[in-house]
Amino acid sequence: MAHRESSSGVGPPARTGPRRTSRAWLAVYVCLGIGIVVPLLVFLYDQEKPTFIGFPFYYWFQFLLIPIVSALTYTAFRISLRATERDRKAFGLPADERPQDRGKDD
Amino acid sequence: MGNVNGVELAIFLVFFVIVTAMGFLAARWQRGDSLDSLDEWGLGGRGFGTFITWFLLGGDLYTAYTFIAVPATLYAGSVVGFFAVPYTIVLYPIIFIFLPRFWSVSHRHGYVTPADFIRGRFDSKLLALAVAVTGILATMPYIALQLIGIQVVLEVMGIGGGSSSTFLAKDLPLFIAFAVLAAYTYASGLRAPALIAFVKDTLIYIVILVAVFYLPTQIGGWGHIFDVVSKSFTSFNTQNADAIGKGAASGKGLIPPSTAQWAYASLALGSALALFMYPHSLTGVLASKNRSVIRRNASLLPAYSFLLGLLALLGFAAIAAGVKVTNPQQAVPALFDKEFSSWFAGVAFAAIAIGALVPAAIMSIAASNLWTRNVYKTFIRPDATPKQEATQSKLVSLVVKFGALAFVLGLDVKQAINFQLLGGVWILQTFPALVFALYTRWFHRWALLIGWAVGMVYGTVAAYNVAAVGVPGSHFGGPLALVPFTQTKGYIALTAFVVNVLVAVVLTFVFRGLKVAEGVDATRASDYHADAGDPGVEDVLEGEPGTAPTAR
Repeated sequence: MAHRESSSGVGPPARTGPRRTSRAWLAVYVCLGIGIVVPLLVFLYDQEKPTFIGFPFYYWFQFLLIPIVSALTYTAFRISLRATERDRKAFGLPADERPQDRGKDD
Repeated sequence: MGNVNGVELAIFLVFFVIVTAMGFLAARWQRGDSLDSLDEWGLGGRGFGTFITWFLLGGDLYTAYTFIAVPATLYAGSVVGFFAVPYTIVLYPIIFIFLPRFWSVSHRHGYVTPADFIRGRFDSKLLALAVAVTGILATMPYIALQLIGIQVVLEVMGIGGGSSSTFLAKDLPLFIAFAVLAAYTYASGLRAPALIAFVKDTLIYIVILVAVFYLPTQIGGWGHIFDVVSKSFTSFNTQNADAIGKGAASGKGLIPPSTAQWAYASLALGSALALFMYPHSLTGVLASKNRSVIRRNASLLPAYSFLLGLLALLGFAAIAAGVKVTNPQQAVPALFDKEFSSWFAGVAFAAIAIGALVPAAIMSIAASNLWTRNVYKTFIRPDATPKQEATQSKLVSLVVKFGALAFVLGLDVKQAINFQLLGGVWILQTFPALVFALYTRWFHRWALLIGWAVGMVYGTVAAYNVAAVGVPGSHFGGPLALVPFTQTKGYIALTAFVVNVLVAVVLTFVFRGLKVAEGVDATRASDYHADAGDPGVEDVLEGEPGTAPTAR
């Protein structure tokens, strides 16, 4: 069973979903974008001073990035839960009875 | 090294034997009907819960790469090796974006490998074949890196490896590593690595915590370590100023020179984009319970990056502790040998060796599944029985390991990190066909195939032409090459990827213009958003191996 209409691509939810989800997804991608781009801007931290508990700046700054990016990703996750829920309707998928349980292991 | 330390070796062997026995017993654990079918052997019967799945994933991410290869680069004074930290930072936001879509479409259609998806999306057996073959090829150097991990541990314990010994004695540790790995996977499939993973991760956490928090205090603390290393590098640079000027040696430094900033960033980005193209990583992701689990875990997994960064710095700790080894890969094992009591060094060595063994087993199984599903069943014997498939898988898993062995014997093992980076050069070329296709069907299947081929050839040739520092005329000496039309060095994988995408874009316009058939897409928009519990979503993927993907 093939679906010819799908060959046009899926497109971001922004095009099909209500305006509020596109703003939510924008927030998600801003969070993730910061997390992806900042660690790659090596010139920002390619220096030895100031040191912190013996670690040159270069090292402690990158260690500091880990919890920051982790927090950004978690924020993106929380926002995405609600946005996904609204998008599901736009894609004709059944409504989720317990959206807050999404992403839990059990 | 030379002398064998009895206590150390005994402890090491006890742990190793326990784990080996577990591997064989694992074949009976939670067992299904029989190990003779591919699903049983290759996917552990697919009965793993989310917890075990992510445990296995963690096992893939923190391996000989973390323990041996990355610290070795720092020990050797090449601080660019610290790219492993930004690599594992940017990795998670990246997978957050595209992996949920892959989960959804795979669970709607019963796709088990990346090649399954590509065949369904583009209606192209050839493109699926290209992706499958790349996965198998790229896995080999990655397994090679794990073999080196086990090898150096055995060498530091004094088993073989001396430069004066005969060929057989010299490579004995390598052959032992190979034999153990082959025996495991052949006998018990994915169950062995799964059960071992618990022992392994427990051991590894103990060793890591001791190594990164206790060990540095014995050497005088991180401040002292950085001081000593800084002085050591400065004096090295002064003494070897001539050689460095001529390019016969590399300058050393605590931070990368400003000219190496793009090298650093491109290694991090290229590796992060590449990791989840590997068949073993994707198969692990598919086993998670629902699509949101991937996103939640993406925000939790970076905790591992912190330990990875501290482990990397053990390369510096080894310098400060006065460890002198000619093969930098031995730096961390030699540091443990020097600073830990014999029994704890034995525990640590067992942890490293098992930590290399498990992912190597998972990788070789994933690669052989790819062969059986997307090459053997598709092109050679479409009517193969489950038993024939399982036999194929086992044989190919062995072939993949021999391939890995060939990489170890054929390339320079002094910079083992290059093995992982070489795999990245190849596997990243499957990114456009796999990840772009999760969002759009705009690319033409033939354009993607030719883009892939150009990227593969460009990347391989560029990597072949890199001579190791101080060894003119040698090949595959490093992951970096000048980016065309610039004077800046970058990771070859990323450059080849850009070339690949450019070719694919241009040729898509061409093929569209020529109205070359685009094939029928078996997926539709909602497939990329479906979640567990939705109509048509399989909670556990049990698509009969090799069946053509069908929409339902």
